[in-house]
Amino acid sequence: MIQAKTERIAYIDGVPHEYEGGDTLLNFIDRHHGRGQVPTLCDAPQLEPYGACRVCSVEIAQAEDGPRRVVASCHTPIADGMHIFTESKKVRRLRRNIVELVLTDHPLDCLTCEVNGNCELQTVAAKVGIRDVRYPAGKNHLDRAKDLDAAYMTSDLSKCINCNRCVRACDEIQGQFVLSMHGRGFDARIIKGLDESFKDSDCVSCGACAQACPTSAISDIFASKSIEATESTRTVCTYCGVGCNLEVKTKGNEILSITAPVDAEVNHAHTCLKGRYAFKFYNHPDRLRTPLIRHNGHFEEATWDQAYDYIAKRLTEIGKENGPDSIAGISSARCTNEENYLMQKFIRAVIGTHNIDCCARVCHSPTAYGMQQSFGTGAATNSIDDLDHTECILIIGANPTEGHPVTGARIKQKVMKGTPLIVIDPREIELTPYATHHLQLRPGTNIAMLNMFAHYILESGFADEEFAKARCEDWEEFKAKLRALDLDALEKITGVEKEKVKAAAIEYAKATAAMSFHGLGVTEHSQGAKTVMYIANLAMMTGNIGRPGVGVNPLRGQNNVQGAADMGCQPHQGAGYLPVEDPENIKLFEEFYGRPTSTAAGMKIPQMFEAATKGDLKALWLMGEDVVQTDPNSEFVADAMNSLEFLVVQEIFMTVTAQFADVILPAASFLEKSGTFTNGERRVQRVQETIEPLEGTKPDGQIIVDIMNRMGYEQPDYTPEGVLAEMAEVIWFFKGATWENLGEQGKQWPIREGGVDTKILHTEKFRRGLGKFHYFEFEESKELEAHGSEFPYILTTGRLLEQYNCGTMTRRTNNTKIVGEDLLAIHPKDAKKKGIESGDRVRLHSARGEVFMHAKVSREVKPGILYTTFHFPELMVNKLTSHVHDAETMCPEYKVTAVDVEKVAPDAGKAGAEIVPKKAAVTQ
Amino acid sequence: MSKANAINYKKGKEPHAREYRLVFKNVDRKGWDPGIDCYLQDGGYRELKKALLMDPVDITEDVKKSGLRGRGGAGFPTGVKWGFIPPNNTKPVYLICNADESEPGTFKDRYIIHQDPHQLLEGMIISCFATGANLAYIYIREEFPEGARILEKAIEECHQKGFLGKNILKSKFDLEIFVHRGAGAYICGEETGLIESLEGKRPYPRIKPPYFPAALGLYMCPTIVNNVESLCNVKHIIAMGGDAFAKLGTARNTGTRVLCVSGDVVNPGYFEVEVGHITMGELIHDLCGGLKPGRKLKAVIPGGSSAKVLRAGEKFKIKKGDQEIEIGIEDIPMDFDTLMACGSMAGSGGVIVIDDSRKASWILNNINEFYAHESCGQCTPCREGSLWMKKITDRITRGEASPDDVETLESVAFNIDGKTICAFGEACAWPTESFVAKFREEFLADTSEKYDDAILNPETELAAAHLSSET
Repeated sequence: MIQAKTERIAYIDGVPHEYEGGDTLLNFIDRHHGRGQVPTLCDAPQLEPYGACRVCSVEIAQAEDGPRRVVASCHTPIADGMHIFTESKKVRRLRRNIVELVLTDHPLDCLTCEVNGNCELQTVAAKVGIRDVRYPAGKNHLDRAKDLDAAYMTSDLSKCINCNRCVRACDEIQGQFVLSMHGRGFDARIIKGLDESFKDSDCVSCGACAQACPTSAISDIFASKSIEATESTRTVCTYCGVGCNLEVKTKGNEILSITAPVDAEVNHAHTCLKGRYAFKFYNHPDRLRTPLIRHNGHFEEATWDQAYDYIAKRLTEIGKENGPDSIAGISSARCTNEENYLMQKFIRAVIGTHNIDCCARVCHSPTAYGMQQSFGTGAATNSIDDLDHTECILIIGANPTEGHPVTGARIKQKVMKGTPLIVIDPREIELTPYATHHLQLRPGTNIAMLNMFAHYILESGFADEEFAKARCEDWEEFKAKLRALDLDALEKITGVEKEKVKAAAIEYAKATAAMSFHGLGVTEHSQGAKTVMYIANLAMMTGNIGRPGVGVNPLRGQNNVQGAADMGCQPHQGAGYLPVEDPENIKLFEEFYGRPTSTAAGMKIPQMFEAATKGDLKALWLMGEDVVQTDPNSEFVADAMNSLEFLVVQEIFMTVTAQFADVILPAASFLEKSGTFTNGERRVQRVQETIEPLEGTKPDGQIIVDIMNRMGYEQPDYTPEGVLAEMAEVIWFFKGATWENLGEQGKQWPIREGGVDTKILHTEKFRRGLGKFHYFEFEESKELEAHGSEFPYILTTGRLLEQYNCGTMTRRTNNTKIVGEDLLAIHPKDAKKKGIESGDRVRLHSARGEVFMHAKVSREVKPGILYTTFHFPELMVNKLTSHVHDAETMCPEYKVTAVDVEKVAPDAGKAGAEIVPKKAAVTQ
Repeated sequence: MSKANAINYKKGKEPHAREYRLVFKNVDRKGWDPGIDCYLQDGGYRELKKALLMDPVDITEDVKKSGLRGRGGAGFPTGVKWGFIPPNNTKPVYLICNADESEPGTFKDRYIIHQDPHQLLEGMIISCFATGANLAYIYIREEFPEGARILEKAIEECHQKGFLGKNILKSKFDLEIFVHRGAGAYICGEETGLIESLEGKRPYPRIKPPYFPAALGLYMCPTIVNNVESLCNVKHIIAMGGDAFAKLGTARNTGTRVLCVSGDVVNPGYFEVEVGHITMGELIHDLCGGLKPGRKLKAVIPGGSSAKVLRAGEKFKIKKGDQEIEIGIEDIPMDFDTLMACGSMAGSGGVIVIDDSRKASWILNNINEFYAHESCGQCTPCREGSLWMKKITDRITRGEASPDDVETLESVAFNIDGKTICAFGEACAWPTESFVAKFREEFLADTSEKYDDAILNPETELAAAHLSSET
């Protein structure tokens, strides 16, 4: 029995309960009696307490029969021994009166309303027992016009009850400040932007407002609050490395809508428009629904058996003739861990080569490599939740509000509350106006910049000598190098004044906890891996490792790019990052897989393409990778594809690359299969089948299993729990992971036996023992050295919120209504020089090729710098990018391309942008 | 500090003999202008010089000792408010002068601002020094454009004389004061609404807890919000010392107070008196020259339109020493505690006198119209309820209400009172609660049972038809 004398006891209607520190009355009551016991209209679990509807009012007293007063339970903190009366006569009357007033200005068309049965107003009205409205019909707002023109968001503000939840969601969750209340008193109404439509406003369609709205006043085209769905399945988004949890609502084999679980640790009721709304690709008519085999240049439909037989025959032949190293596989960071594991197992154990790689090669391979060199582990040291504890945020070469929107929004929220932000980026990103420091360096000069940064940390006396000495090595050497730097020269190279760098360096170093985030603006450079090691240097020299609110935190690109590398989809490391040339590992693999593996590391993706053009690589298996559109120098990649004897592509759509294939295998999308994804904070989460695979398609994992069996290797059918169990035996940091214990929130690896997971790495010591300082000197990009004089502008590329990579999925959704093309950003000075205005068509060309696109005159770039995105195959921006790559990992230098630009006629270059496969062209 | 009779005032604007001019000393003074030279010649900024040599803690102590209670409406002790700044605070502290004087019936702050801006600035600078604020704002209502201009000029003059800026009078104390103009919303006078507005946001009052301004105010930093008159008093507390100030007025109701009298009296206007030294009757009959000829007192709203009305003929029980005595409306001494004991409040000092020519329902409807217009719309009971109260009193004044409407009217008011985020809820509910309670027969007399079932409302067709059939 709970005694009243013990601490932290309060009474709900006379019954004692224990409360928690920081509890409001409503939290407390909700926890003990369930949400809804006390009705509310303006409170929502994902929002800050607001206290405006007053429906959650309760009576409180310090003693059971002491004097009572009425308070709003949602924002009143609980006190010891407090008596709460949730259903007193007084509060019941009050609640009834309030709801009655609300109903005087609310249409009573419940039966035809999209939220009928899931309307919070309806529920509250029923709960408080409204039978009658005493007020005569009078002036009201029932004739407000609906707003249905936007790509996703809809509003019918006649249903609005002025609870401000949508405004708060827009402010507190997304930080977009699109919605606001206009006018006062009875005339108060919700407006978007400057009283415009959703479509014309700055709304980013994140949908947080629609989810928060208690009625159908704000909703979406999928009517996601309706109760039409018969099933709801929790799964993980496939768009980026944030790993948002999704609640997918289905009826039969149809997906009706997606919402964000309020209790999801990763995304707390938030997603971006991709996660929440860009799902209609799943049953798009363009989906591949049958295996295709090329005959005489044309694709012909085939059965799975025909396709498998053909593939098995060809691969066996090629292997026999040219040896297993003439075959390679590229796995997909969009697929599950289990599928990636199987893919590398197939290549290693069945084909017999280490020619396996994944798209981490072209994005975060320098992160994995660089952090391994510095710390011993190639993954984020901390968690996104550490944002709650940090005192300073450093963003280098990342644009989180576009690339990782939910994390971007969280960073924005934190910064708006006063945490200093440092942005190191050649471009003005959405977060720049919120930043204390923006170091707008020339693309490709990260090492020069971070050398300056480190120098000033040291010089200003903010280095954590104690940490550097005790936990790291090569500190003295590093310091000596920093001291000897020529700062004037570096200032010139980066184009950023020394004083600015110094101020930012001091800001970072003096914070008691500073957290860095980096993206592809760090890795996709010729000094990419070195830059990662430099970010690690900064963290080590300031002691920002192994505690809450600190660390080095790469924003991983794809949903499972962390996982793909963890699973061993790399040519030099097998599952669990075991080096493949190590004799002990060779032995272990042979025992575990039952087949010997090759003793030599395999080819990285660029080496595969090189080998293909030379005729050394004969066959390639692509699982969900559109290499022609997304790898640099498209013409060269197309050459490589053309040179292959045999190309197998597993895909959900006919991509540019798939058109080069000999066999296309139709795969199931993430919504149609189960497995696990590992997000950017090492969180392994369950992906669950929400509908059955589209007829004619199979999950990628099952396809691999089928072909393994067809080629004589016994592998049980694909089940997520089965493959996970197998993986856990060989990957040390998955040891304690089981399908069951991952639960709803997933677990962050290393997952030890018993399912104990790890939020923060390197707390006591580094994985490699001592953290290692590395010093590097700036080297000019070879691309600029070779072509800089002929092509005087530097092109740097990035991504947009609305489109995802090559866009195969997002381009087949309403996202394209919002952004339908890639644009070239050019500074007004350059635009003037070139006679270019916004909307003009321009020809952008490099030493490799040319593309035609529309220009956008913008100050987001400095003079001399151009910026664009690469989402649309009509453009193939990667025709321009170069072969230069990171010295250590071969990650391409997408971010620096020497180009020139001219204005052209409005219709120039409209035809002939496509790259046509030779195999198709020959026979036509 | 001088008694009013030592100074010459403009003809026809001389203070009444029973006044005690302290804050209003220079209002309507002959030869007086708002410039700094005039102020300095009269000994201005002497208290600032004195204060800057004091320990800020001692100033706060002095203000506590003075017993000064906020002159904006709530009557909260100013020194105690200052003391709420968290002791281990490391954030900047802000001071805001609330010059959003918008309570109907209140017109004192504008005279200080217009005629004696340096008194306010001196009080503010001393208060900032005491509370450790290096940045202060004067939030002035939009309807005082001239006042804003005068204050800006006065601030400029202070800069020139070294009373503002860096290292004020070599004290190492820095202070900047900015004038911020409101945009015409009554709710901005509520301190947390004001803070939101100052932050550039919609002035929705904040929930308390957790947002008590002294801890989490402007930009989530400790913030002191004081009324114009309160801040002026700080100068006088420094001049005479807290103990001496406390001797003015009565115990717990110290100092002077500017009362603004409007309504049915012969000489409406402002009167600065020692708190509690005159009664309601003396105020009306003596200072204001009595009621208009042939009229009888019907009621008084004693502290701005939101204060509960007091009806003539009512008997009030108050404590005198240990004894409880019964007094009539005219015997009420004008102080905070007695007015509260009488069921109303001293509020902002706006005394509205109502004679027997007025209809209670008409007055209430007028007040309700104001509050329905000014409700910010954040809390449901107030947003919806304020309008319904107005709709119902509107019907009553037109003689189209049923007796049940009076009950509904009351229930709406009770539904708002104490059930909103800020005190606007009380402000808009108290007039209805008190008028209906005290003039129920009058309200009922204006209703008729024939309207019991009718859907009557100005907007409905039925009502329109009804109206046209009458004319």
